[in-house]
Amino acid sequence: MMKVKKGDLDKLGLLFERYNRPLFSFFYRMCKDCDTSEDLVQSVFERMLKYRESYTGSGTFTTWMFSIARNAHIDHYRKVQRSAIPVEIDEERLEVQEDDSAGIDHKEQKKGLLEVALERLDEEKREIVILSRYEGLKYKEIADILNTTEGAIKVKMFRAMKELKDLVTTLSEE
Amino acid sequence: MNKKYEQLLAEYLSGELDAEGKSKVEELIATGEIDFMEFRELETLYEELGAIPAPKPATKGHERFYKMLEEAKQAKRKPWFQSITEHIKSLRSVLTMPRLAYAVILMVIGGFIGSQLTNDRTDIEQLSLEMQTMKELMMVNMLEGSSAADRLKAVNISTELPSVDTEAIHALLFTLNNDPSVNVRVQAIEALKRWGDNERVREGLVRAITKQESPIVIIELADAMIELELRNGAVEFERLLQERELDYSVRQKLQSSIAVLM
Repeated sequence: MMKVKKGDLDKLGLLFERYNRPLFSFFYRMCKDCDTSEDLVQSVFERMLKYRESYTGSGTFTTWMFSIARNAHIDHYRKVQRSAIPVEIDEERLEVQEDDSAGIDHKEQKKGLLEVALERLDEEKREIVILSRYEGLKYKEIADILNTTEGAIKVKMFRAMKELKDLVTTLSEE
Repeated sequence: MNKKYEQLLAEYLSGELDAEGKSKVEELIATGEIDFMEFRELETLYEELGAIPAPKPATKGHERFYKMLEEAKQAKRKPWFQSITEHIKSLRSVLTMPRLAYAVILMVIGGFIGSQLTNDRTDIEQLSLEMQTMKELMMVNMLEGSSAADRLKAVNISTELPSVDTEAIHALLFTLNNDPSVNVRVQAIEALKRWGDNERVREGLVRAITKQESPIVIIELADAMIELELRNGAVEFERLLQERELDYSVRQKLQSSIAVLM
């Protein structure tokens, strides 16, 4: 990124090749929509280019990148005013999975329940779980992105995991 | 579960806990302060989370990105072109015939002097070649020094060289594989990346993967493999993943690097 900052814009291509998939997966897990996720990945790289002067190299690159990604995600949902819409696909998906449950093996069913449970977590907790479990960020890095303390992130992560466990239990009993 | 252990267990789940922390968790489970069943459920849940897949991005995203990048590059070039045009325009307003004639005379005189100096240029080239050889020699000697600071300096010298010979490359690769200092090894990778077109460098970097113990160096090598598009690196990373107990973050890094290289 330092080279991009110095004007070697081709190096952004290298960063795109390396990070477009993790970014896409982050957005997809947050919004469950491929097109929106693609748009948001594009938006992140546009912002990287636009704000390249603000990159100091003091923290890790992924921290800076996911801070941009998070802002892009927030801005997007503010713009389309969809943040207030409750998750509506949960029940539908769950029903489909239950209807087919006889044919699907237990592991697959559990995976489906877990996916629905993850969607039911509040946005902040879901974001922490995604950044930690799927994007492999350390708690300190997540704390920097969310502008809070490492301890607070650890507590939230633990509570998110407990909530997930309870949600899976509730969903499997429904 | 006791709230005071929330942070400790979160660290355990993400793999950020060191050996001492892990044994503390085991101790707390043994004394019953942490409920084993609940702990096991959370651990299983954390593992199962990893099985939820995410689709791959469509290729149209690539096209969009590279189109945007090309536009940005052109927009960056524009001000430079505009400034030249503006400069010429401003020159035209001050160039009168006598001034133009004066400039032509100066050019002719300059050309004459220049032709006389061409012979000296070969001497200068010879001198700079000797300087480079000297720098290379100095670098190779310093790389063998006992001080890590000196060895770092030596690696940095290599980055100032316009080209390197086989001996210098060999010395840098030897440093990468054998230097006790992680900083020096990382710097050696950075230096070698500059000569990424050289086949010996490419082979040496790939071979160095399995010789490394430090996670920092392994991660740096993973970045180098991607930057230099060294696809053979993926095979070595696979081997590393199979043969060694690596940190969670290193495993993640290697897996994502393999995905890019494949």
